[in-house]
Amino acid sequence: MRKHSGILLALPAWLWLVCFFVVPVAIVVVFSFGEKPDIFSTHSLEHLSFDRYAEVFTPAFFTTFLNTLWIGLAGTAICLVIGMPVAYWMAVKVRPERRGLLVALVMVPFWTNFLVRTIGWQILLAPEGWLSTLAQGIGLPAFEILNTRQAVLLGVVYNYLPLMILPLFVAFDRVSGPLREASADLGAPKWTTFFRITLPLAQPGIIAGVLLVYIPLMGDYITATVLGGAKGNMVGQLVAGQFQTALNWSLGSAMAVVLIGIILVSVAIGAGIVWLVTLPARNRNRLVLGPAEPAAARSVTVPAVVEGAGA
Amino acid sequence: MTGPDSGLRILAHRSAARTIGREISRRRFLSFAAAASSVGLLAACAPTAAATSKAPQATGGPLEQKLSIFTWGDYDAPEVLEEFTATVGPKITVSSFSSNEEMVAKLVGARGTSGYDIVVPTGPFVQPMADHGLLEPLNHDLIPNLKHMDPEFLGRTFDPDNQYSICKAWGTTGFVYDTEVIQRELTDWNDFIDAAQNEASGKTSLLDDPAELTGLYFWANGIDWNTTNPDDLDAAEAFLVNELAPHLSAFDSNPGSGAIPQGTQALIQAFNGDARLGILETTSRPERWKWVLGSPATELWMDNWAIPAGAPSPEAAHAFINWVLEPENALAEVDYIGYHTGEADIRAAAEEAGVEMLDLIFFDPDQLATMHEGELTSAQERIVQIATKVKAAAGA
Amino acid sequence: MSRPSTRSLSDRAFGVWGVLVLIFLFLPIAVVIASSFNVGRLLVSWDHFGFDSFLALFLKPAVRDAVLVSVWTGLIAALVATLLGALAGLAMARHPGRWQLWLLGLLLLVSVTPEIVDAVSLLPWMVTLGQDAGIAVFNDGIVRLVIGHSLFSVAVVAYLVRARLVGLDAKLEEASADLYATPVTTFRRVTLPLAMPAVLAGFLLSFTLSLDNTVIAAFVSVSGSTPWPVYVLSALRSGLRPEIAAVSTIMLVLTLAALALVAYVLKRAGDSAADIARTMSGG
Repeated sequence: MRKHSGILLALPAWLWLVCFFVVPVAIVVVFSFGEKPDIFSTHSLEHLSFDRYAEVFTPAFFTTFLNTLWIGLAGTAICLVIGMPVAYWMAVKVRPERRGLLVALVMVPFWTNFLVRTIGWQILLAPEGWLSTLAQGIGLPAFEILNTRQAVLLGVVYNYLPLMILPLFVAFDRVSGPLREASADLGAPKWTTFFRITLPLAQPGIIAGVLLVYIPLMGDYITATVLGGAKGNMVGQLVAGQFQTALNWSLGSAMAVVLIGIILVSVAIGAGIVWLVTLPARNRNRLVLGPAEPAAARSVTVPAVVEGAGA
Repeated sequence: MTGPDSGLRILAHRSAARTIGREISRRRFLSFAAAASSVGLLAACAPTAAATSKAPQATGGPLEQKLSIFTWGDYDAPEVLEEFTATVGPKITVSSFSSNEEMVAKLVGARGTSGYDIVVPTGPFVQPMADHGLLEPLNHDLIPNLKHMDPEFLGRTFDPDNQYSICKAWGTTGFVYDTEVIQRELTDWNDFIDAAQNEASGKTSLLDDPAELTGLYFWANGIDWNTTNPDDLDAAEAFLVNELAPHLSAFDSNPGSGAIPQGTQALIQAFNGDARLGILETTSRPERWKWVLGSPATELWMDNWAIPAGAPSPEAAHAFINWVLEPENALAEVDYIGYHTGEADIRAAAEEAGVEMLDLIFFDPDQLATMHEGELTSAQERIVQIATKVKAAAGA
Repeated sequence: MSRPSTRSLSDRAFGVWGVLVLIFLFLPIAVVIASSFNVGRLLVSWDHFGFDSFLALFLKPAVRDAVLVSVWTGLIAALVATLLGALAGLAMARHPGRWQLWLLGLLLLVSVTPEIVDAVSLLPWMVTLGQDAGIAVFNDGIVRLVIGHSLFSVAVVAYLVRARLVGLDAKLEEASADLYATPVTTFRRVTLPLAMPAVLAGFLLSFTLSLDNTVIAAFVSVSGSTPWPVYVLSALRSGLRPEIAAVSTIMLVLTLAALALVAYVLKRAGDSAADIARTMSGG
């Protein structure tokens, strides 16, 4: 009875999502096996084949996929490098009273309209805009970065940085202060504490941050449209173009499926790499992550740290 | 939600969710195949369906409150639109597209639910759109101002009775360049290509429209730009994708509103009126922009007012078209958008009113002889494909 | 135990980096807010200072309608998402079982799919439902927008409510049952108040997400009910005007007010800064 009431309660949400998410996306997957019969038709499912996928993998289009992958990986890496010190600073170095304010400050850009934020960068980077004129005044060359891939990289790093900082902040915050203090008391220098205590414990949050940034970034459409011009072409625009201009739904669907595939494959590879890299560390520090209840964790940590340090 | 355990379990069940999706889609697929093939069937027998004359929807009834126009970028004088709302009533919303293909894609995709009341297709697209049931016939009784039009611009080959369209503007394609960046004089399309590969590399913009994008190659090389010869198309693709695309920095059908006044590029393919608008709007050093009519050949296009099938406000749409054909409004339009709007004696009126940069609006017979109208040929899909590949290559 | 008051060099370095990054994050927003005081034709070229651009919200019908559509759609989408998501979150937290893997998987799928794929798949589906299946309600612009906006929000609300209820003891509800309360009464007087902060937070978050939704809206919207981000997207092509910045500033204030409310509600319910941060970043 209890189980059935659970299913019943969740049924509306499940139906809603199946009806308006699973079904349309599944139909798109089906479209990808079709073709485009004539100018004014969107698609035809009469002859099913893998031809559209063959078309996607031609050099003309596949370079865009590789570019997108490059921007995705580079953007995520830069976000991680920029965001981690900030998150650590917010969680560890700043006084507790100030943390709420800092969280709010990081969130304000995050919750501003995505498109408007990006347009802000378009204003800043405009070759004839006021910033460029200012730069030229002090001797720098005029801004040439707009409508290039670098502009898109800058834009996506900017847009997704809060999505990296916030989960990292939460993760570092969970690594309780006494744990780090204990490590320091046992003579570990700061870097060792960071790499052997804080970082491994914060690992779930780091993974969350990376995924939260990488996955939307790969499908990004707005940043590339506003800042990229012709050079900053990303797959999102390619897919949109097939649906909006070329009226070739089959090809667009195939591109969308390949995009999802690339995301899944790269995430799987990344997960594999992380698993391999942390393997030796995991065998060495058998530190058990308890549930997120402070009391329970604190009572378990002391013997665990002793075990880890002694191993 | 971020624990490693739930992550592994979810991975396994993603495939389960996919299977569910597929199962449901199998049923949907069958019903969808039926729907898709019926659409295909409709498309195939559309010409006969359209032959049974569809009575126009608008019959002179009361005007609706709203009017939605889907047109090219910055293509109407704001004061004409405001005066319409102030005088006649309906509130106007304007959305813009970059190419006919985009407009067609929106109408075909929405199948009557797009919400637009007026669209502005270029000549060659009018008849195919009508054949595919995308346009409504116009009710000429509601557009008495047709009498002000120059007869030469009515009854064109693509719509002999103006059943579905009325001339909005006609114009041509050329380019503007920044004389401060490109010091030499450019006179034709081959100069354009040469400059794009040299001084203006990385600062060149083409029109975001497959027809003009590929037309550039054909005009420069003396080939009829309506060709369906596969060799010509292959040559065009090879050249545009390999030689020209790497030097392009933008695809923009409306540079007059942004790129020209802001100087974002140095070499810009543009429509004549849009180039004029851009130059007039440039506040810093407007004299650096020079307009060049495309030569040795270029296009002659005619954009038309048309009403899409399923338009929610057909009465207001007719009223608007009638409004724009009023002589004072036609002159205001010419002054703003910089194109010949097909009204009778408009050139004299424009000269009298002191409209600026007339040489970008009105052309003499020699220039007209170099302009060729476009057609919607069997190579259309290939043209769109080439454009897509050029855009992909430009971003590489 | 108090820490030594002298700040080491590394601490200072962290502080400097943090402030620099915050400046980086606020730079474009400051530019947009500053540009809203520009009275000129183009957004990017400064003409002169003035408040005229703010008046565009009241004077230009296109702008006013776009904002109204966005706000109205946001409210309805938030309502729908909160209703569905709260029930789902409640079910997952209080009635766990093997079945919830189906829902969890689905919610994860929604979070993981790029928005552009959602967008291009939703339009043909809506058109099919509206035109081929004859269900006319799907031709309505607002209905389409609500559906498109609610997809991701349902997942967010479900996560939130589940996280909150899982953290709270089920014993209170058991006690209520022991005291002869019917399940409905228990739900109404015990569970719902307990979950209310998360439900409220979910509602406000869904509202802000819906206000911001651009890509899906661009594809499914019907002319006549154009939401604000789609208006900006099309203005991008035809030339940005300062009124865009002005209205964006107003919308920013609106969003911040909603978020401040969320933070206040959560703080009252006892969440720490970290919990709030976790909530806001979508779990």
